[in-house]
Amino acid sequence: MPDDRYLEPAVETMSRTALRELQERRILDLVPSAYENSPFYRELWDSHGVHPRDISSLDDFRERIPSFGKDALRDYRARTGDPFGGLLRVRPSELTSITSSSGTTGDPEFFAEIWDGAPPLVTAQLRDLWELGLRPGDRVLSPPGTFRNLMDYGYHALGAVVISTNTWFGRMRETLEAVRRYRPAYMQFMYPQLVELEHLENEYDLKEIFASLKGAACAGQPISPRMREKVQNEWGVELYEYSSAADTGTAWECREHNGFHLWEDTVFAECLDPSGDEPVEEGEIGELVATDLDNRAAPLIRFRSEDLVRMTSEKCGCGRTHGRMWVSGRSGDETVVDGRPVVLRDVWQAVEAEPETVGGFFQIVRPAREVDRLRVRVGYDPSLSGDTADLADRLRAGIAKRTGVEPDLELHTEEELMRTVRSVAKFPRVVKQ
Amino acid sequence: MVRQDTLSRACMLDHPPVAYLLPVPGPDGIADCEVGWDDLGRDAAWTQERLQAHGLAQGHHAVVSFSGHEGAWFQPVIEALRNLGVVYGSVETMGWDHVRTRVFQRELDLHAILGLSGETLEALSGQSMIGDFFGETPVVMARPDGIAKLRDAGVSAAVISTLGPALAIECPERAGAHVNRAEWTVTERDGRLSVTASAERAVGGREFLLETAGTVRADPCACGSDDPRVMFT
Repeated sequence: MPDDRYLEPAVETMSRTALRELQERRILDLVPSAYENSPFYRELWDSHGVHPRDISSLDDFRERIPSFGKDALRDYRARTGDPFGGLLRVRPSELTSITSSSGTTGDPEFFAEIWDGAPPLVTAQLRDLWELGLRPGDRVLSPPGTFRNLMDYGYHALGAVVISTNTWFGRMRETLEAVRRYRPAYMQFMYPQLVELEHLENEYDLKEIFASLKGAACAGQPISPRMREKVQNEWGVELYEYSSAADTGTAWECREHNGFHLWEDTVFAECLDPSGDEPVEEGEIGELVATDLDNRAAPLIRFRSEDLVRMTSEKCGCGRTHGRMWVSGRSGDETVVDGRPVVLRDVWQAVEAEPETVGGFFQIVRPAREVDRLRVRVGYDPSLSGDTADLADRLRAGIAKRTGVEPDLELHTEEELMRTVRSVAKFPRVVKQ
Repeated sequence: MVRQDTLSRACMLDHPPVAYLLPVPGPDGIADCEVGWDDLGRDAAWTQERLQAHGLAQGHHAVVSFSGHEGAWFQPVIEALRNLGVVYGSVETMGWDHVRTRVFQRELDLHAILGLSGETLEALSGQSMIGDFFGETPVVMARPDGIAKLRDAGVSAAVISTLGPALAIECPERAGAHVNRAEWTVTERDGRLSVTASAERAVGGREFLLETAGTVRADPCACGSDDPRVMFT
């Protein structure tokens, strides 16, 4: 019976050499099968003059197989009418389920799934949930969304009991009552929920209420150091952030909180120059490029995620040997305003510096990456601000000071801004309108 | 493969007999309802019969619109679809997710859409004629708050709904939403409904007074079922 830190100790702590050998075996199986059955790869690789017989090692794979991005899939889908972008390597009737991306930046892309027991995304999180401390008999608060399938299957696989309560925005009072009543060991947060909870911290003893939690996860967007400090130290919740592993799965923090673990028996992860195919030095920022090693339905092969990350293959303090990454942002998140680059971090710090907007609820609104004016939409707490003109002046000055650009500001209450959320997984910081 | 190995490892763990704990709101506050693994299995079998009656079969595509806190009711729906060989997609019930509902409908040859909410239909109706949008889909099931909008638009929709801890599904007769009589007794008291669990369930014999308004029909349905049928009001 596994009852220590690792759910699958032999896999989670396997040597780098064994891991590389395993990845090579899986890739050498994957490449011919994808070429044979997935029209997208056949077309892409043919156009690059690559054939599976050219690939006999990981080095061949890295050097010869072309990478591709979301636009290539969208083009294929538009050109052929194939909703799966030509990625399927099975007949559609062989699928179990179809989920999709959130579609916050365009039409959602489908993820084809084949599974027994539990859907693939949540199954790949079992090791992470185990590391967080989830054990049989523990209670879990149901997450609000189902867009990447019903997550309960995963919690049940670990023997947890799911408390079915609605934890969507605007329901944090009910959520707190449910936590107090059922004493769950685990729950998930989204950033706007944390902002909502922050408004309740003077009414409720959050530290007492959350004392049953072994941990809580938060995904979809980075959390500011201020918010993380509050959740961990003032509310007493050990927060585990996680991120997408380029749509092949997820990557979670372990108890060391030193980077997101990639499960490299499920993904072959590369960190490449965002403007080319050359790998960057370990520890340098590059684009996460991923290959599915455990996807029978529609594997991504050298998929360019647009996520800017640093990666390391150094053994973690937790003892796991799988690589870790730190997410720096999205390659398209930098906005060029009249020739001057503006990064999210600078705007974020300016917004958090004002008491009425300390929640850091803001979006950059831009139709394109290069714009003439910086337009920023900020959510404020109306209970703390009677004079929005003064707040707007302070925010404009703060943003201008940190970015060197005078912004056009749009002020909304936090609640108004929460209502614009179009995903259970993320609050987008850069929007088109 | 890897994920299957992980699941096999997890199977070695001790699993409690209870899968879900539902807070059921009623006029006297919250009542707790445990749902066991055997309960879920029987719920899936009954749901499968109901979906089969609507013609769902191997090779069809369906979309299920449900929220993360509705697993106790919709995991049996998913299991029923899987057992039938129906490939399913999942979308949220929140109105803002109508975009994904629209894309699933547009891109996949859907045989069924199950669980449409009033919010989703409201959002979709701002963009297209509901009748045109769902007219070609053979099976459309909506929550009680959305059913009138569909029927007014000429869509022959059936009701699917949670009813306290139970699930209610209309058959093709569309004459009230069936509740599994082997698992639940449904009664009406002053216009409010209550459900009582059968002795077999994890909460055997327990009655849940609900805030849901409706009436109950106990006469046999034209489809041949003796299940009680709920008319939501």
